[in-house]
Amino acid sequence: MPKLESFTVRLRTGQRAPSAPPTYVINGFLVEFDKTSGAAKPGEVYEATGEPGSFPHSLLLCGPKEGAWDIDEVSVTYHCHGEDAYTIRLGAVTLDDASDLNIWYERPAPVFDV
Amino acid sequence: MPTWFTKAFKSAETRPKPRPQVDLPKAQPAPVAESRPQPPLLPSEVKSTPKSRRVIYAPVLVEEEEQSSWTPEIRIKARVEKDHRSCVFMVDRPVLQGLSAWYPSAASAKDSPLAEYLFAIPGVASVLLHDFTVTVAREPGSGTSWEDLSKEVGARIRNHLLVGVPAVAPEFLEKIPSEDELRQKLSRVIDLEINPGIAAHSGVISLERVVGNTAYIKMGGGCQGCAASTSTLREGVHRAFRDAVPEIGAILDETDHSAGANPFYRSLPVGMEADA
Repeated sequence: MPKLESFTVRLRTGQRAPSAPPTYVINGFLVEFDKTSGAAKPGEVYEATGEPGSFPHSLLLCGPKEGAWDIDEVSVTYHCHGEDAYTIRLGAVTLDDASDLNIWYERPAPVFDV
Repeated sequence: MPTWFTKAFKSAETRPKPRPQVDLPKAQPAPVAESRPQPPLLPSEVKSTPKSRRVIYAPVLVEEEEQSSWTPEIRIKARVEKDHRSCVFMVDRPVLQGLSAWYPSAASAKDSPLAEYLFAIPGVASVLLHDFTVTVAREPGSGTSWEDLSKEVGARIRNHLLVGVPAVAPEFLEKIPSEDELRQKLSRVIDLEINPGIAAHSGVISLERVVGNTAYIKMGGGCQGCAASTSTLREGVHRAFRDAVPEIGAILDETDHSAGANPFYRSLPVGMEADA
């Protein structure tokens, strides 16, 4: 497992939005993002960077404290220690006050032509 | 020290939520006349437990290559598996449509011209043909790099398909039992051999379906998310299945090992547990 220096979540919110700024959970600990831009409002793009500097056994984007949060699309860019950055794109998902989104994916195995 | 760690413990707001306090019932005054003493309230009756949380997995989107219509040129893509022992070759046309065939050694590949052709490459340890894919494992410690081996395997698959010889001989196809028969045999192996063996670890294996001669299984209980589940699958399930039903081809694990009630890593804070 690589050491995750930092990661950036970029997402577009659908119709329903969270009432409070998004947070994330790493290895069971609730942490606020280090840098944010945009807004998690309907139709808007929100970008947030976390700098855990740790080994992510689990990494979750927290659901809203109340109501639902429609996310149209998410991309997560990972900067791991000693490796090139890579990005994973996720499809639409709806979170509620009892759910969190898994956002930890190891680098996909490369596919090449033979 | 990791920054998230420092932050998590420096700020009271971001500190993991403490276990919710349960208000235990206070000592009741002596019962007055005419009222029957009430049994003490259970903690669950005093205060509701926090809502458990579940982890959602969104679909991972893969950039699709612009696919043109069918071309005579055979295109093959390779993906080296995480353990670096095997490599999956994805072909743009069927290799063994709807079926699968497993060859653990060159000696076992007499009824497959394609597998025999691949075993002729030094360092090839096993060959699995399945629908549009060919999975090749290399001999451990052979020193053969996938960079060289994958090109050779790809070239041989392409040559074989161009010649038009079937991947397996007709005799192989005749030996394959019906899906129902395979399902019954595999279920018996699971019930009588596999599950009793892993019950001590609270593990359970279930047969999800059989398609052609390919078995799809799921691992549950203590097996789900267990770091040794790969060994259980390879050394236990594969061996038991193939000993009892030699005609079985691919055995595919459909378990999500990071989700569910008993994943290997599960340490969300109190009140944020994954759903049981």
